[in-house]
Amino acid sequence: MNSTAIKEKKIKGSLKEKSQKLMGIGPEDAKLTKSYMAVAFIALLIGGALGLLQGLERAGLLQLPHWFNYYQVLTAHGVLLVLVLTAFFTIGYFYAGLSHTLGGLLPQVRKMAWIGFWMKVVGLVFAVVPIIQNKASVLYTFYPPMAASPYFYIGLALIVIGVWMCAFGAFINIAKWRKQNPGKHIPIFAFFATGVFVLLFFGSIGVTIEVLTLIAWSFGWKATVNVLLSRTLFWSFGHTLVNIWYMTAISAWYVIVPKIIGGRRFSDTLTRVVIILLVISNIPGGFHHQIVDPGMSQTLKFLHLFMSLSIGFPSLMTAFACVYVFEKTGRKLGGKGLFGWLKKLPWGDVRFLAPMIAMIAFIPAGAGGIAQTSNQLNQVVHNTLWVVGHFHLTVGTSVILTFFGISYWLIPYISKRVLTPRMNKVGIVQTIIWTLGMLFMSGAMHWVGLLGSPRRTSYTTYGNNATALGWDPYLIFLAVGGTLLIIGVLIQVFAVFHMMFFAPKGETEFPIAEAEEPEEKTPMWTDRWGLWIVIMLIVVSMGYVVPVVDLIVNAPPGSPPFITW
Amino acid sequence: MKQSKYGLALLLFMAIPPMASVLESIMIMHMHMQMPLLVISGFLMAPFFQSKLPKFFAKWNEDGIPGILLFTLVMVYWMIPKTMDDALTTTSVELFKFISLPFLAGVPLRDSWNKIGSGSKKIVFIVFTALFYVMGFLYIKAPIQLCNNYLLIDQITLGWGYMTMAICFSIYLIYLAFIDKQESPIQL
Repeated sequence: MNSTAIKEKKIKGSLKEKSQKLMGIGPEDAKLTKSYMAVAFIALLIGGALGLLQGLERAGLLQLPHWFNYYQVLTAHGVLLVLVLTAFFTIGYFYAGLSHTLGGLLPQVRKMAWIGFWMKVVGLVFAVVPIIQNKASVLYTFYPPMAASPYFYIGLALIVIGVWMCAFGAFINIAKWRKQNPGKHIPIFAFFATGVFVLLFFGSIGVTIEVLTLIAWSFGWKATVNVLLSRTLFWSFGHTLVNIWYMTAISAWYVIVPKIIGGRRFSDTLTRVVIILLVISNIPGGFHHQIVDPGMSQTLKFLHLFMSLSIGFPSLMTAFACVYVFEKTGRKLGGKGLFGWLKKLPWGDVRFLAPMIAMIAFIPAGAGGIAQTSNQLNQVVHNTLWVVGHFHLTVGTSVILTFFGISYWLIPYISKRVLTPRMNKVGIVQTIIWTLGMLFMSGAMHWVGLLGSPRRTSYTTYGNNATALGWDPYLIFLAVGGTLLIIGVLIQVFAVFHMMFFAPKGETEFPIAEAEEPEEKTPMWTDRWGLWIVIMLIVVSMGYVVPVVDLIVNAPPGSPPFITW
Repeated sequence: MKQSKYGLALLLFMAIPPMASVLESIMIMHMHMQMPLLVISGFLMAPFFQSKLPKFFAKWNEDGIPGILLFTLVMVYWMIPKTMDDALTTTSVELFKFISLPFLAGVPLRDSWNKIGSGSKKIVFIVFTALFYVMGFLYIKAPIQLCNNYLLIDQITLGWGYMTMAICFSIYLIYLAFIDKQESPIQL
């Protein structure tokens, strides 16, 4: 390519980007994100309501009828919130950001995202119908040998392929942008999107293999299935998914929140290094979900410990970066003394308050996670409500509150409307209710878990056993928290659809903070995604080759399908 | 020169008997962790030798080809199953492993990599990728123990280790073939 052609491309690219930034999102891209957001928040509404039913049943306050039992509700709650809400929100959010930072989506990419959307919706219907029929009460982890209807697995496979369509769409758009902008770094937001979609694709390969096997097994084409291998493949994805949510949340912490508080974002190079480290070290971390599984050797447990804690390292870097930005901005705004800068932060702005509480929640959430990574500590809490409390704090608070915070500018941005002061107040109230609800619910779950109350089990007193009866007061707190949370869900869903269709018209910006000045030049090697992917695959091989070969070659007889409910 | 010290420290660490015996107790860790780490230790120590013996490298490794050939030869030698058995049973072969991999593979690799052209780099990369596929196939398919010291399951695991590495190399090669050099000046 000669230099004039490069120049022409540069001018064309930058003109398009500038016009996009000035004019806001194009109507077609906006419609795409709006659809994704609508599905995400409808899933929140239904999933949240099911969560309340569960909480009440678990506390012994309500007996669900046999045609709509606890395990059905639990499965639907998990699928709707853990898979649907997060996947749809993440994709909608990143596609809006890609459209903003890359100067609009390419027409074929938009088409791919729509195909992905409908595949996921059809997949969702396939998955939900058997759950309603009580033919798939296998919980969202769908561990064999519990066997659901094959259509449940087909639905899951469709959802995964839909996600892949979106991942490849994002890759195509970013690659095209790089072609048009030779020598430039991928914009930081698109860099986060690349990391997330790389993990979404590579992280879900294992579970796709598992699901395809389970389809054949539940149809009866295959007599038995290797249970431990299936669980291992599931967690290679499950754990990655956790970090996909986390990376989506920190994209807002690094890029969006500094702009909202009127500051600049942390070092560009370090931010990119954090993303790269998260992508590389993530997938083999999945073993820590299987610490107490039989057939996992000591060496493997040690490896999982190392891989899990190595993910903790970029998290600590993130904590440092966030507090650094807050302190710097607070001092710039006139904060004095050791903690005076804290007062200067815009606590009355929901776009800051929600992600800030999310970050604070991540301190105990992350610490609890590290405790669970240890073999001995994990044995104490593994099958108890502690674990449920843990992920309601990580996903249910750190991630979801960030998503809620994002919604207060993203929805007005895509709808060409504004966030009114009144809606901001609604948001603040929602955030406080949610925080209180989670404090009660997650706190009670952690505590009662330590006392031995099991997870994945509907209410029982074990024949009025004294220990089991001792859990009851905590379970009441759980129900109180759940009730507060459903109020939070209702307010949030109302706020989203109000901002989408009824808020006053106007322009809202997509808040992306500028990097710090004086900015050191970010090295070009950070953009070598091909290399990072290969290193990631090498790390994945290092983590998985030994155990997976062992699980296959030394496998016990496989298991036929069981319907336990 | 700091790097050279790290390299020496790594080599000495790897040579501590308990460390060596842990890594040698599992076949895949012996071949895919201990041996590459020994090469890396030499790779890190290379600047020391380059600065002390500049004439030697200029004379014997002018265009980098002899060095890369030596590297390849040593690497291929240590891929032969019999050599692993020998290293475990004969002390002199074990000693040779700790000398050859750092000093006859790691050091020449560092000295040669910047001297050889991009074409030669590609050839080296492709040769090793192909070799890894072949070795993977050999270790997975061999119906009998190739090493007296390791079980068949260890051998199959190592084979899959080779296969996955080869797949990773292939992906990287495909990636390099597809990117536009002018836009992102990536080199092998």
